[in-house]
Amino acid sequence: MGVFVLRRLWRTLLVLIGISVVVFAFVRALPGDPATAILGERANPESVARLTKQLGLDKPWFLNLAEPGRLFDAQYPKYLGKVLSGDLDKGQKSQIPVADELKSRFPATLELSLAAMFFALIVGLPAGIVAALRRNSVWDSLATTISLVGVSMPVFWLGLLLSYYFAVVLGWFPPSSRLSVGVDLQPLTGMDVLDGLLRGRPDVSWDALRHLVLPAITLGSIPMAITARITRSSLLEVLGQDYVRTAKAKGLAPRLVTLKHAMRNAMLPVVTVVGLQAGLLLGGAVLTETIFSWPGLGSWLYDAISGRDYPVIQGGVIFAALVVSVVNLAVDLSYALLDPRIQYR
Amino acid sequence: MKKYILTAFLSASLLGSASAATLVYGGNGEPVSLEPGNVTDGISLTVQRQIYDTLVDFKDGTTDAVPGLAVSWRSNPAATSWTFNLRKNVKFQDGTPFNADAVLFNWNRFWDPKADSGFRDQGRTYEIMGDLLGGFKGDKTAVIKDIVKLDDYTVRFDLTGGNSVFPVVAGSSYFGIASPTAIKAQGTKYGTPASTPVGTGPFSFVSWKTGDAVTLKANMSYWGTKPRVDGVVIRSIKDASQRLNELKAGTIDFASDLTPDSLAAVRSDKALTAVLKPSFNVGFVSMNNKNPILAKQAVRQALSMAINKKAIAEGFWNGLAVSNSSFLPPVMGWANSKDVPSDYKYDPAAAKKMLADAGYPNGFSVDFWYMPVSRPYFPTPKPIAEAVAADLSAIGVKVNLRTEDWAKYLQDRNKEPGFDMYMIGWTGDYGDPDNFYGAYYGANASDDINYNPASLQTLLEQGRAALTQDAKAKVYSQLHKLTYEAAYRIPMVHSQPLAAARTYVKNWVPSPLGSEAWNKILLVGKR
Repeated sequence: MGVFVLRRLWRTLLVLIGISVVVFAFVRALPGDPATAILGERANPESVARLTKQLGLDKPWFLNLAEPGRLFDAQYPKYLGKVLSGDLDKGQKSQIPVADELKSRFPATLELSLAAMFFALIVGLPAGIVAALRRNSVWDSLATTISLVGVSMPVFWLGLLLSYYFAVVLGWFPPSSRLSVGVDLQPLTGMDVLDGLLRGRPDVSWDALRHLVLPAITLGSIPMAITARITRSSLLEVLGQDYVRTAKAKGLAPRLVTLKHAMRNAMLPVVTVVGLQAGLLLGGAVLTETIFSWPGLGSWLYDAISGRDYPVIQGGVIFAALVVSVVNLAVDLSYALLDPRIQYR
Repeated sequence: MKKYILTAFLSASLLGSASAATLVYGGNGEPVSLEPGNVTDGISLTVQRQIYDTLVDFKDGTTDAVPGLAVSWRSNPAATSWTFNLRKNVKFQDGTPFNADAVLFNWNRFWDPKADSGFRDQGRTYEIMGDLLGGFKGDKTAVIKDIVKLDDYTVRFDLTGGNSVFPVVAGSSYFGIASPTAIKAQGTKYGTPASTPVGTGPFSFVSWKTGDAVTLKANMSYWGTKPRVDGVVIRSIKDASQRLNELKAGTIDFASDLTPDSLAAVRSDKALTAVLKPSFNVGFVSMNNKNPILAKQAVRQALSMAINKKAIAEGFWNGLAVSNSSFLPPVMGWANSKDVPSDYKYDPAAAKKMLADAGYPNGFSVDFWYMPVSRPYFPTPKPIAEAVAADLSAIGVKVNLRTEDWAKYLQDRNKEPGFDMYMIGWTGDYGDPDNFYGAYYGANASDDINYNPASLQTLLEQGRAALTQDAKAKVYSQLHKLTYEAAYRIPMVHSQPLAAARTYVKNWVPSPLGSEAWNKILLVGKR
């Protein structure tokens, strides 16, 4: 197991270096340059040329082949040098260190993603189980319909709809943001619900929780639907297996058969899909964070891509790749817990 | 346990209301930086305007120059030199004095690439200097030749040519005056969320929570009208629908940049007041001289006549826009020619005949590019483009609607072969026609239409040098006539951006220039 983990971590490092090269080249290959994006309507050839030079983007990408004496006077060697010394560079215009932004924004996205996944599992799993156990019943139809709606409803529309009805019309939840104006909380983990408790401020945790509900439901709607569908089909498949029939024939209680024998095996594909959803949640967070003014990674990266903020895109993508790699590793390791037959070498 | 939860719930309910005298603004995003001279985005300038003052200010709700940190200014007869007399007894929020040294320190940072504390090697670009003032010290095109301290409270700007608009340019919110002590002490961090920006403005900086909000408190030592609220929180709410939701829910007090279709929702809510900003923009359609068909004046004029601009303005702006023949917003109507009709008359039959006379009885095909982003001058570019296309198809012109990523769009319009026809617009920086005509007909700005006659450039230079409004009107009325008849750019609308406030917010007078100080706003009976 230890060797397996080390090997995976080594592979992750190689993946990250590879991604740094790819993302570095890709963002520069994108049509539309940072100077034009920064200047907006003001952009004209002269102003673009001047700003491009000021930003240092007139230098070669990887190697300065035109001047062999200054071969490494190029953009990537400089960037790599900074990264290797622990500096992820600064936002092109904001001059905010990318590492600082990641530090403050990742916990917000993590909190939202965890809450969304919690919602997806707490609703999706029971819905899938009920649909499988009561196959072709009203409950099955209901669960299937809910999953279909969850998958097909655009996140943007769902978010605005929830915000309008539950915040404006009913006033149950705040329309957006993480904490009410005037609430001061010194971050510990950066996850406000948790930090409120750790700081002995349950009132702040409650406020943070109220802000979290609508974005979590919005972001969790698609994973919830997928979880319900996968759970249903996986459980149905397992319930038809010989060993389940044997367990039933032995006179075990139906609940015991389902929970102890069928569910554990049915969970493998569910865990795989949930793991894959982690990556999708980061992507899905772009829209949800924009609608709910959630200061996380998604909306930040989206703005950086629109504004061609190269250092932010590079740092953000490398970090996102790291997170997805770590989650996938955790998912792989969890297989062994669910199925003792699986061993790592 | 129940008691614990109840206590938490009640406390949280109370938490929702900040101090009754704190003003909460729904901004359309997060500031890029709070360092003056180095950003151009609207929300950065909105926040900066609360922290910093500029040399010249503007009368509430207008573009008329009034004293700011300079109490008066005068030029030599040729307008090649401007002397500013500075306000005395003004202190920065850190307690250091405002004087000529502070003005020189700030303006040298903007203008001189070698200035101390300019941090150019750390990514500072001050690109607005290139746009509004021709470039930096040493550049051939730079407007500023020298900046001289005459005494502790007098500063002179020597210019490379006659420039009558210099004081209002210097007064635009890009050029706030920051505390030299604070910049020197904070170094390259200055302007980022980890710094403490310091100016002489009505509010001082408290905190900037990345991606969330900037908090300011009243500067009770302010030299002007003292703030009438305890503080301001500027929240980042990118989505316009969500800003409206927040307003309706009462979680923010006022907001700008709502979509025109929100007007009915605002007006139907008794807790809200619609606030219409004065129009200070132009949305237009440009046509490229390199397209052999569009190079013909008769064709361009026929297209101008075929577009039902008034119906489009009513349909897409909910009455919050006017349409006319001028490139200038209505507040600068004094600079329009009286010989130019109010607009090309919408007349598809006559337009079709003009096309036939020009050699295109069966019309022609043209690419029409629409913006992929929303702006106050074109809030819904695609449907507007579709309406234009429908109008043009009525005279036989087959329009191929096209778009692409915004950064690429801005790049491609100036690259060979450019766009046949495309949508773009402009929001003013200062109240002079030069800011509008210069931005799209100036020597550096005409690559998209490839139309740049010497007569036009001469008029632009004359307009820049003219000192009085009468003298300017004479020049710009000629420009109006010239550009109207050339019809390379069809002015579609001058829109009024929609803002709204809770009814208890009083004395909010939005500036046409985009940002105004909020020291006069008061809250009557908030919550």
